[in-house]
Amino acid sequence: MPRPHFFAPSQARLLQFVWMAVSAVLAAMTLFPLFWMVSIAFKTPAESFSPNMIPAAPTWQNFIYVLTEVPFLRYMFNSFIVSATVTVVALLFHSMAGYALARLRFPGREAIFLAIFSTLLVSLPVIIVPLFIVVKTLGMLNSYAGLIVPAIFNAFGIFLLRQYYLSLPRELEEAAVIDGAGYWRIYWSVVLPLSRPILAALTILFFLANWNSFLWPLTITADQNLWVVQVGIANFQSQYSAAWNYMMAASTIVALPMLILFVIFQRQIMESIKTSGLK
Amino acid sequence: MTDQVAQISYPSEERGLSTKHREWLAGYLFVLPDALGLFIFLGVPMVLSLVIGFFEVDGFGGYRFVGLANYQRMMRDPLFWQAARVTALYAILLVPLLFVCGLGLALLVQKSNRFNSVIRSMFFAPHVVSLVVVALVWQLMSVDKIGILSRLMSALGLPGVSLLGDPNLALLAVVAVSLWFLMGYYMLIFLGGLQDIPVQYYEAAEIDGAGPVQRFWYITLPLLKPTSFFVLMISMVAAVAGAQAFDIIYVMTKGGPANSTAVLIIYIYQQAFGFGAFGYAAAMASILVAALVLMTAILFLFTRGGRFEHA
Amino acid sequence: MNDSRTPTGKTAGVSRRSLLAGTAALAAGTVTGFPFINRMAVRAQDAPLKFWQFYAPGGQVASQVAWFEKTVADWNDSHAQKIELEYVPNSEYINGTKLATAFASGTGPDIFIISPGDFLRYYNGGVLHDLTPFISEEARADFPESVIANRMVDGKIYGIPMEVEPMAIYYSVKAFEEAGLNENDVPKTWEELLDVAQKLTTPERYGIVFETKPGYYQNFTWYPFMWQGGGEIQSEDGRSAFDSPATVQALKFWQDAINLGVAPRQVLGYGANDATANLGSGYCAMQNVGIWAISQLTNNAPDMPFGVFPLPTPPGGKYVTVGGGWAFVANARGRNPDAAGEFCAWALASMEQGSIDRVVNWCTEAKSDMPPRNSALEAGGDAFNRGVMGVFSQEIHPGTRAEPRVPPEVYKIISDAIQQTQLGGADPQATATAASQQLDAFLASYNGAPIL
Repeated sequence: MPRPHFFAPSQARLLQFVWMAVSAVLAAMTLFPLFWMVSIAFKTPAESFSPNMIPAAPTWQNFIYVLTEVPFLRYMFNSFIVSATVTVVALLFHSMAGYALARLRFPGREAIFLAIFSTLLVSLPVIIVPLFIVVKTLGMLNSYAGLIVPAIFNAFGIFLLRQYYLSLPRELEEAAVIDGAGYWRIYWSVVLPLSRPILAALTILFFLANWNSFLWPLTITADQNLWVVQVGIANFQSQYSAAWNYMMAASTIVALPMLILFVIFQRQIMESIKTSGLK
Repeated sequence: MTDQVAQISYPSEERGLSTKHREWLAGYLFVLPDALGLFIFLGVPMVLSLVIGFFEVDGFGGYRFVGLANYQRMMRDPLFWQAARVTALYAILLVPLLFVCGLGLALLVQKSNRFNSVIRSMFFAPHVVSLVVVALVWQLMSVDKIGILSRLMSALGLPGVSLLGDPNLALLAVVAVSLWFLMGYYMLIFLGGLQDIPVQYYEAAEIDGAGPVQRFWYITLPLLKPTSFFVLMISMVAAVAGAQAFDIIYVMTKGGPANSTAVLIIYIYQQAFGFGAFGYAAAMASILVAALVLMTAILFLFTRGGRFEHA
Repeated sequence: MNDSRTPTGKTAGVSRRSLLAGTAALAAGTVTGFPFINRMAVRAQDAPLKFWQFYAPGGQVASQVAWFEKTVADWNDSHAQKIELEYVPNSEYINGTKLATAFASGTGPDIFIISPGDFLRYYNGGVLHDLTPFISEEARADFPESVIANRMVDGKIYGIPMEVEPMAIYYSVKAFEEAGLNENDVPKTWEELLDVAQKLTTPERYGIVFETKPGYYQNFTWYPFMWQGGGEIQSEDGRSAFDSPATVQALKFWQDAINLGVAPRQVLGYGANDATANLGSGYCAMQNVGIWAISQLTNNAPDMPFGVFPLPTPPGGKYVTVGGGWAFVANARGRNPDAAGEFCAWALASMEQGSIDRVVNWCTEAKSDMPPRNSALEAGGDAFNRGVMGVFSQEIHPGTRAEPRVPPEVYKIISDAIQQTQLGGADPQATATAASQQLDAFLASYNGAPIL
């Protein structure tokens, strides 16, 4: 928000206070259901469904169970490998494609973009059977490759990066062109560094999407050693009841690294523009 | 779609390919890895899905060509039309709300300081947790009588309200939870877009005596166009065919009560995986994609692909 | 049988699998060459058979996991064709994409478990292997008709039940006492049930819980109320029998419970099959739930005394309840259907003591269920007659009718009728009439195995 010079200093202070108060209240309301989740994580099974927010007898038992009785660390390791690999490869490929679609001129560019965009219009449940057959044909069932490779390709990132590159000032690129740099060098040493904020945002979004993905990992793996965290959490539901206390404890454990990831990367999103010398 | 942006005048090269052809080649090579992957893992399955729509499928390898029978069945199926109505309603409610809330939150916490960085994390936090789990928590909070939301309603003089159990309310409740879950995501995207707007524009406007509202209206909004276009497109697709909308509804209501939250993607899922009617499900999915193509094409034409008018 | 890619019957034109696989292979081949496809075909002949179920380690009930592990280990000790357990989380097994995707692409498990609600879909799809040759006449007679009939077509057995899970009504003793009631006030008729529920309803609690989420389970719990007044889905002549006074009164009964404010529109937890979440948490005073709730409540709500009584009946009605339960089945298109079938029979339907004990174990130690075999009921002896289990085996179970097997289309029509009346406030008579017309339209073109 631009600085409100429009107002007298005392007014401005008041405005800022109201502003902060509104933010804080909204944010607290947003967080409320998550507090509830954490609260259940500390409850006993009998108390899981009671309407009180504060556990009557808080217990670490659920966390201990999740971390010791279940190969949960193994699931977290799998999720981490898959999410990290997908994120890195996807960022590279998508920024390349986004750059070309926004900044380079070649015949069929808009058609290619529309074709890429059209893949956004289907969701996984709709194509899961044919996709499964494709992946089976490639011999990637029940393997890390099967978990990772199909998850890399997603038009969302390409689209977002293209929109971003459309709005980048042209002058920065022109300097490199005058130096006689090739397209790869322009991409690698000019465009990529300029993309740090958006790449930081995408890192969060990609990593999260894969960290929390469920349907595809479940469908592609049979071996319990390849299970990812969300499949492990789903397994706390037994035939006629769900161990909510375990599910919530596991979800809390799973959410923490993501929150840390967000805190780290959001600073990148907000600050790197300044260091790029644009302002 | 003619292209008027991103024109960089490169110095002409003497040797090898002409400048123009070098740029072509570079363009194709840069797009190649993604294009290939998307083709194999999304394009091929999409085409197969389209093909399956013309077959009657038993889910066990049995396969019979039936021409347009699945499409004819769709026309006569009241549940399909009911689901189409629910989908339209869900999207019409959710998309504008997401846009306004996402942008609003982004503006609220845009300034870089420690306070805002905490608040930002809080707004984004729902997204960090598995959707299935938070949907369960919402279900618990809205349960009849003793759920905290039901108690709140009673306190406000509305006793006996069943948020997820009343066919007239369930869709609204589901929209609210979807909004709660997704708005932090769009906030993040808007934040990225806002960061791109050169601060000089604001400074110039301020010198000209423009107030906050004018600055928002004449600078922020126009310069946010590529991002806005992106958000509208993505949120529309997410509302109509998104996996997240599906998860929220599936966990909270399973499409009930009395089909009042059964959006098309729930109905398609049920036909395919509950009933094994893959052919019929694929036909409905094709129609859904066609509708989305139509809507996004209109949006695309209107906004010229989210590019700026000038340049 | 050395290759999962052999044609699998059904040659109406091209098989869908080969078409899909062909197209996909073409796409794949263009980028990667063909070595992968060949690799797929080379599958060791004696690779272990895959047995899919939802009792995975780390799930809730260790004794159930142990039972499956021991069963498979015992088989592997004494047989050349090995078997391997593979797990699918329960919610995904029942409602998910995993099984459907696997079967649709020809990679289904060799052995798996199904509920009656799924029977016709799999049978009509041609993937259920005939298990009759592996079951002796004596063992066949050990399964009561009410348990085995809905797993049979034309006198052949296609699934071997592992459990019988009848429905009843549970109540909280404490809630009864608070309302000045005792076990003599246990309702015998629908009217009494609503009356007692009203007495038990407080600002914090509902009198009774019926299932509210649409699904196979909700239909399952509703059928006995239809049957009690003589209602049926289908009449002898094959036409719909849904438009009957018995059906209308059953729809109205559930609607009344909501309208009177004694039953909630939403239930807690996983659903109304979860007794811990609803009765155990104090959300309701009575709950319509099955025999499995005994172990749920004793394990997770040990401080809450509860009782159980048979479903009440409507005026002029006859007591009947519904019994669910899962069954072992063998995939007719698996790698070794005969070995898979032999395993199913060996595990649950042999006259050897080990097989009988296994059933007893499952129904007493792993779960709290009624056994599907007479011999197991005898062998279990006291375990089936103690406490609440005794009420089940003596009062509730004798009136059990097997869960009907219906095609998905029929399920959906009935589910919509229940939902529209229960929660949508629709008129029961008009809803039943409309549903009946839809059923007739479907039944006229249905040509799969008989609906039971």
